[in-house]
Amino acid sequence: MRRVARAVLFALLSAACTAGGGGGTVDAAPLSPTDPGQFRLLLAASDAPVVVNVWASWCLPCRSEAPLLRIAHQRFGAEVRFVGLNVQDSQPQAAAFLTEFGLAFEQYSDPRRRVPSLLGGVGVPITYFFAPGGELVHLHSGVIDERTLALQIDELLGR
Amino acid sequence: MEFTLLWAALLGMGMLWAALWLEDRAELLGEGRRVAFDRALVAAVAALAVGRLAAMISTGTNPWAHPGDIVIVRGGVDTGFAALTALGWLLWSARQRLPAALDELGPAALAGLAGWHAGCLFRGTCLGARSDLPWAVAQRGSEVSRHPTEIYAALLLLATAAAAFWWLRRGPRLGLVGFSALAAAGAIRWLTEPLRPSLGAGPVGWYAAAVAVGLTGLLWQSLRRGAVGSRSGPVP
Repeated sequence: MRRVARAVLFALLSAACTAGGGGGTVDAAPLSPTDPGQFRLLLAASDAPVVVNVWASWCLPCRSEAPLLRIAHQRFGAEVRFVGLNVQDSQPQAAAFLTEFGLAFEQYSDPRRRVPSLLGGVGVPITYFFAPGGELVHLHSGVIDERTLALQIDELLGR
Repeated sequence: MEFTLLWAALLGMGMLWAALWLEDRAELLGEGRRVAFDRALVAAVAALAVGRLAAMISTGTNPWAHPGDIVIVRGGVDTGFAALTALGWLLWSARQRLPAALDELGPAALAGLAGWHAGCLFRGTCLGARSDLPWAVAQRGSEVSRHPTEIYAALLLLATAAAAFWWLRRGPRLGLVGFSALAAAGAIRWLTEPLRPSLGAGPVGWYAAAVAVGLTGLLWQSLRRGAVGSRSGPVP
């Protein structure tokens, strides 16, 4: 019995040690800086619904939702525009985060966190759901779960 | 800080405790309410931890490098590994009177799961697939009406818990209620899964496995001659 328990424990630990980055294949380019005015224009000019995720590499919950955003982008990327907004972060650490999680959608940098201050919501992460043309449909403060993300994307697609 | 998951968990635990209290009053618990509640609680906590670790590993997060991520439960819990852990703990901790312990825990576990699903009212996650049915509900500010999927699941689980409790009181052969509860829990999740918003197909394979194991156990216990163990205490 003890041998079986040890074998299971060893297998679990080995699996844990070998788990690498989620995506790992994306080489992150430097993030384009943005400001509230530019970001408003980006949203208004979009013909597709937009999901905006506010994140930072130092933010623990952001790490948890990053794999969900990667999966959502892979599944809905053709119909929904995904935008990342990195705040209060350094470029090298943000780039390392993007590479680690394989986040391949467009990313912007807002070091002074001016865009979320304008759009509303507190803390990091925040996820915004915009209809085509830039109308805010839903704001989710805090880490988002799979069901909520899928539901809000479906809401956008149902409009 | 968000506490909505905590409220949902507390509702689930409350329903579990209430069901065990009812069983205790009906003198259906061989080892007492506290032992059964502790057993279920440890199973739930262990399931949560292992399920979260499995979800982290499957999405590419190394638990050794980022141990703090394990507390971000909202990031995902692997249903299959969580269920296996809970079942594994129950099998080991109740090994001396396994069929009877599973029977006792069956109705209570279903009631606890019903409470967890009803906790969607705190979390704001009750709604699922789009629907035009008269009782479909729209999100605030939305015109898209949807199935209240988690309420369906909660009601089905609660009804099944009540049926299991009634059956347990009638004193069926050992193990039948426990295996039926496992099959019912898997079947209810399986049936309602297509009505849930999801980024993938959902863990339907695990639900099917739970139904298969439950039905196999049910058949096995039904066909056995005589019953092993007793409802009142451990097997000598």
